[in-house]
Amino acid sequence: MMEALTVRGPEKNMAASEETSAAIPRSGSASRLLATYRSEIALAVAILLIMGVVSFWSPQVFSYGNIANVAQSAAPLVIMALGVLLVIITSGIDLSVGSTFSLSGMVAGLAMSAGAAWPLACVAGLAVGIAVGAINGLLVTLLGLAPFVVTLITYAVGASLAFVITDGHSIALLDPTFYLLNGGQLIPGVTNYVMFCLLGTIAIELGLRKLVMGRWVYAVGSNDKASRLLGIPVNGIRAGVYVIAGLLAAFSSMLSLSYISNSEATSGANMMLQAIAACVIGGASLFGGTGSAVGAALGAIMITVIQNGVNLIGINSFWQGSVTGLVILVAVLIDRLAKVRA
Amino acid sequence: MSRSASTTFVLEATDIEKTFGATNVLQKARLRVARGEIHALLGGNGAGKSTLIRIVSGSLHRDAGAIQVSGQSNYDAGAIAVVFQELALLPDLTVAENICLPHRRDAFGRVDARHMRAQAARALAVIDPALIALLALPASRLDLHQRQLVEIARALSSGAQLILLDEPTANLTFADSERLFTALRRLTQQGISILLVSHRMSEIRTVADVCTILRDGKSVVDRRPLAEISDEEIVRAMMGEGREKATAPAGAAAPATSGGVTLGLAKDRLALTLAPGSVLGLAGAPEGPAGVIAALIGSASHPAWSITVNGEPRRFRSPADAIRSGVGYVSGDRAEKGVLATLPIVDNLAAAGRVARKRWLVSSGEVQDALGALKRLAIKANSLYALPQTLSGGTQQKLLIARWLDLAPKILVLEEPTRGVDIGTKREIYNIIGVVAAAGSIVVWWSTEFSELAQTCDHVIAFDLHGAISGLLKQDEITEVAMTRATGMAA
Amino acid sequence: MISYLKRGVCLAATALCVSALALGAAKAGDKKYTVAVIMPSLDISYWQWVAYGAKTKAAALGMNYMELDSHNSPTEQMSNIKTAITKGANAIVIGPVSSTSTPPVLRFLKEQKVPIAFTGIGPQPGQTDYTSSVTANNEESGKAEGKFVCQLAKERGGAKVGMLSLPQDRENAQKYLRGAQAAFKEGGCDLVQILQTKGLTVREAVDEANDLLTAHPDITAIYGMYDEAATGAAKVLQTRNLVGKIGVVTADGSPTTVKLLRDGVIQGLFLQEAGGQGIEATQQVYNALTGKPTVKEMPLTEPLVTAKDVGSPEAQAKLKRVYPPSAGQY
Repeated sequence: MMEALTVRGPEKNMAASEETSAAIPRSGSASRLLATYRSEIALAVAILLIMGVVSFWSPQVFSYGNIANVAQSAAPLVIMALGVLLVIITSGIDLSVGSTFSLSGMVAGLAMSAGAAWPLACVAGLAVGIAVGAINGLLVTLLGLAPFVVTLITYAVGASLAFVITDGHSIALLDPTFYLLNGGQLIPGVTNYVMFCLLGTIAIELGLRKLVMGRWVYAVGSNDKASRLLGIPVNGIRAGVYVIAGLLAAFSSMLSLSYISNSEATSGANMMLQAIAACVIGGASLFGGTGSAVGAALGAIMITVIQNGVNLIGINSFWQGSVTGLVILVAVLIDRLAKVRA
Repeated sequence: MSRSASTTFVLEATDIEKTFGATNVLQKARLRVARGEIHALLGGNGAGKSTLIRIVSGSLHRDAGAIQVSGQSNYDAGAIAVVFQELALLPDLTVAENICLPHRRDAFGRVDARHMRAQAARALAVIDPALIALLALPASRLDLHQRQLVEIARALSSGAQLILLDEPTANLTFADSERLFTALRRLTQQGISILLVSHRMSEIRTVADVCTILRDGKSVVDRRPLAEISDEEIVRAMMGEGREKATAPAGAAAPATSGGVTLGLAKDRLALTLAPGSVLGLAGAPEGPAGVIAALIGSASHPAWSITVNGEPRRFRSPADAIRSGVGYVSGDRAEKGVLATLPIVDNLAAAGRVARKRWLVSSGEVQDALGALKRLAIKANSLYALPQTLSGGTQQKLLIARWLDLAPKILVLEEPTRGVDIGTKREIYNIIGVVAAAGSIVVWWSTEFSELAQTCDHVIAFDLHGAISGLLKQDEITEVAMTRATGMAA
Repeated sequence: MISYLKRGVCLAATALCVSALALGAAKAGDKKYTVAVIMPSLDISYWQWVAYGAKTKAAALGMNYMELDSHNSPTEQMSNIKTAITKGANAIVIGPVSSTSTPPVLRFLKEQKVPIAFTGIGPQPGQTDYTSSVTANNEESGKAEGKFVCQLAKERGGAKVGMLSLPQDRENAQKYLRGAQAAFKEGGCDLVQILQTKGLTVREAVDEANDLLTAHPDITAIYGMYDEAATGAAKVLQTRNLVGKIGVVTADGSPTTVKLLRDGVIQGLFLQEAGGQGIEATQQVYNALTGKPTVKEMPLTEPLVTAKDVGSPEAQAKLKRVYPPSAGQY
């Protein structure tokens, strides 16, 4: 059937097909990988550059200890940003992740102080994350409310519940083995927080690239109407990304709890904007349809590196927001430039 | 209308060059429009028409070349005005305010209402004195064709001598198109020139005096009176040598679709059964065809049409249900209903297959399939991983059709598939329709161009302006005249 | 925009609370006095404890009690005052959003002839129309804490100290810092870095303490200005095996820092008597209502509790004036 569809003269057709196949590199080739991850590589270089600038004032920035600190401090943000990324790719937004972080931390903290073993307490915390995500997803898909409005509601309710359940008191976590979640080594030689970040980033990246579901996440964000007409389960995808975002926010909270061993009702307050910023720095568009897990993870690391740098240099921390804002501006401009060139 | 060079050119653009990256979009392009003529600018998708228009109207810089307006190279940008397909009136302002928008304030930012109304009335009177009655209405109350005329009036009031119209009749009824043409002729009598971009041959023949044809950025036909050039010559000029052979039907070699179906469609008193290989046309104002299409592709929650497949009643509950039952769907509204703009070409091609075959993983076979599909439809793409926006509109349309061909759909539903597509690509699409039908699929398609329905269909359901069924035409009854009569729309 | 909306949501919540409280007040009858406690932000445990102190004292004095949250907004603070008066409050105990936000409040309450006592933050200098101002003496406390920190640093063989500060746009933070700087100068200690928090979370303090120790590995004592600062610093010292080698002192006091003190991870705690402020302020407005003498200025010192004396009866009594038993152990 298909041969007959050729609509041009034979010579022209040959020429066209040669042109087409010659211009398309083999999949998996190094050059294509480089092309695909161009902005992520640029981001990694930018992070090193920032550290290089900081090292003028504070050479300790490249010390093993400092890098380990930055990594450990960035880990929860990386995990949270991965969830937020999925929502942003579908052209949604999740303002509730910070509250989810606080609330799930408080629930897990309460469970632990009530005598539950820490893995059980963490399961309870994760359940809270899934529940918040499910509420977000259902309100967005079934009621058709705008994601901004829905997650604003769950943000407000979540933040208030985090206070309600413990009357605003913070909880010190005394279980001596709880640190293992963050600081242990399930894989010998690799501390867990590093492993979780790597695993999470690779899993989401591969999921987005290699699973049909992952491609649909982009499709939904790219063109909702066309996706529906193509029979893509748009509502399922939309609801799903909020659930994953909630789950990852809760897991991020568990990871942080295990490190800090103290649960507070305001712990996630400023993480939501940082997570969104991480995605944007990493090349995601708030209009949806674009973004990568590697980019979001690097974005989260960059934000943490800036905080670390500002402190190491000794700039008044009031300036931290301005520096972060400037870096986001530069990152977005570079990304824009790279896309124009492409 | 004489071809001799004269000094009365309102627009004379010569040797215009423009490159984007590595592509030479315009190479020594030439466009000369004389005072008081209706000039058709023709060319395939990607020939450089829109780039040339943007350069002439001053919204894009040229790399080289000269532009003179009425013999002046230093001209007022207001002398050339463009009326785009997407109209740019502010819906809540009145007609008078819209017309005077570009210059309605004095040096102190004040608005003189009486002066403004007088100015707007003068501009409207040039087009049609009857329009002055609209002055105080908000723009949102006007119908489409009135809005176009108001835009033209706005251009006139800011001193336009040349008005560029980009596919002005795409969404107009027959009667309104006639009214527009009358208005355009009246303008030419006042010395105003019109540059018209259209893909509708009959319309160009009716209204235009002269044509310029672009191909690959060059003016292959420079100012020829339409009376002197045949349709065949125009097509050949647009497509280049050899390409016009595409019109030959090419169904013989097509393998039969596995298990072709008979499709029954019924609504009100109409009941129609289509055998495998039928091509059903839908003609008329959007509401009517939209009902049939929604029922077939599973997007209607309460379909107005009842469907039978192989005699069994069938209701498609969702697009996924329809797709898995062998219904393919392509819309001419590419941006809204078709293209996944931020996904690479390969994903756009594989999307339908992933749904139909319930795939979980992105398989490497998809790349091969995509390459094959591009090759079969002779789609030129730099890379499978490029974004669809790197392709021209017509090529994107072929991409959307290519999405389905590997799946051999039992029913292929096309919604204005030739909208905004050049004549060459249109012919390729007719060809594809023929081939798909010859393979045993049923093709259901809606078009606003009756000539193409007449060319390809064996059944046509016509709808009137309110979306009610106004006739069923079969075989020899399918003519442009019959469809125009039944639908009240222009061909 | 988010804080805007957050404020809206909070407003609605406040309105609900107020109407619920009003119902309660109506039930209780008219003969009792009602005290309204208006706190700048009940997110912060310090203000919860001030309110708790006021509540227990009000109960002891047989007064009705209502509690309103201003969410750090002067506008909301003013509307809270008016709501409280409308709902029949006879006296106000306030933790103002800021000193500068107080003149209109005082003007309004003077018209209404309602007594008001301040807790935590005092009125704008020059204002006189209030019953009492029960505050901590931040500058003196800063000086005392600075002296103690400097002493700890020297005991550990150094003279460099770092500070984990509250945001320096706050008046109490500026006073603490001024006092501490004076003490460092006197004691010959060098304040090498001040890091300011934004969110007052332990998480943030941990990051800051880490950065502080990375940038200045040679410091031997840390001045904490709030509980979470010390909690974060303690966490970092534990991770780095530096407990005891670097001294940590903080202001405020909470079950978490008391535990750290008992464990010897931090060395000193300058108690800000949150509960005590609520208790004293409530007593003062009660006195005003019943015609008893009142004390206009009541600057409470911040007593030091050290790792060594935390178990003593005196220290235990002081701790009880900081936070309620429901918050945790003393």
